[in-house]
Amino acid sequence: MTDLAPSIPVIETKRLILRGPEAEDYPDFKSTFTSYRARFMGGPLNPYESWMLYAAEIGHWQIRGYGMWMIHDKASDETYGMAGGWKPAMWPEAEIAWVIWPDRAGKGFALEATHAVRRFLYQQKGWTTAVSYIDPMNLDSIRLAERLGAVKDSDAQSVDGSDAVYRHPAPAKLDGSQLAHGIEMEIGHYADPKFKPEGWAID
Amino acid sequence: MSALTLHIPTVETGRLILRGPEARDFDALAAFFADEGRSWGFGGPKTRNEAWRWFAGNIGHWALHGYGFWTVETREGGQIIGIVGLWNPEGWPEPELGWVMFEGSEGKGYAYEAAQAARAHAYGSMGFTTLTSNIFPGNARSVALAERLGARYERDYTNVTDETEMAYRHPGPEALAKAEGAA
Repeated sequence: MTDLAPSIPVIETKRLILRGPEAEDYPDFKSTFTSYRARFMGGPLNPYESWMLYAAEIGHWQIRGYGMWMIHDKASDETYGMAGGWKPAMWPEAEIAWVIWPDRAGKGFALEATHAVRRFLYQQKGWTTAVSYIDPMNLDSIRLAERLGAVKDSDAQSVDGSDAVYRHPAPAKLDGSQLAHGIEMEIGHYADPKFKPEGWAID
Repeated sequence: MSALTLHIPTVETGRLILRGPEARDFDALAAFFADEGRSWGFGGPKTRNEAWRWFAGNIGHWALHGYGFWTVETREGGQIIGIVGLWNPEGWPEPELGWVMFEGSEGKGYAYEAAQAARAHAYGSMGFTTLTSNIFPGNARSVALAERLGARYERDYTNVTDETEMAYRHPGPEALAKAEGAA
């Protein structure tokens, strides 16, 4: 008997609870990854590809000891997307990645979840740096990377030359810094809006 | 902690051990997938990145379905010689029994021994009542093994990549028990 039990920690934030991907969450994942929303993430995928990618998200936890969490609403438990660490074979570095279901965008969920997983990967998994590989056309993701304090790193190796590398601030730069306070303040505004942001939706 | 636990049974035969996939198995699988001559009948060729995603996906397949591909190694020497298992990702017509032997491990009856053990385990503790094997036209080695296992051609079907494959139907648990009793 091979007992593989990749114990996936649960992360709680103000509005969200992040857990490992489970079978019952798959339909939500499939809806997004078989849609146009997935165009910057190698999609849209057919149902087979979508299912295999979801299975790989689970296997990634077993192989690497970290992976992508499913983002749930703390109260209703409904899913909003995924965020976490991602490093398939041939990735130059470990990546912090995120995806928000298209009908859940614009509420700061990706910011809140990704901020939390980044802190976890830095503090609990000992990461000292992290990148995000982003399609240059994916403006929502580039904006989110920048709101998280990541900056474009033109010297870093990209996955296949077609993606831009954003370098996240090092752990020390997130420790009680103005940057960290700014991120937390923005998350706070989404959770308890003192104003309703208008204009384009941001993740 | 989330409830993501995998209990992958180990199955032993006279010469082989079928066990859950481990990270150290990946290089052998990647080499197989990189070789078009060997992997064309199994969705190959695949780049190392694609092979890794398949490898990770197989672990997730165990988590989601409770079955998947075992790594096959020799009892003596612990050499990794291939994979055998039960496969049913979304888009598959029904669960299939699949097998792959890595370079240098054919011609020894290993695939037959491993596939027979996997099938027996599927019919036994896993509770399967029927199994198919999906084989690309022209894959004579796999057809020969399917037939040696008692499977018979049933029909053509269109697979997830819009190609035609042949479905071979294995004898069910009762037919198999009867055949073994008669033998």
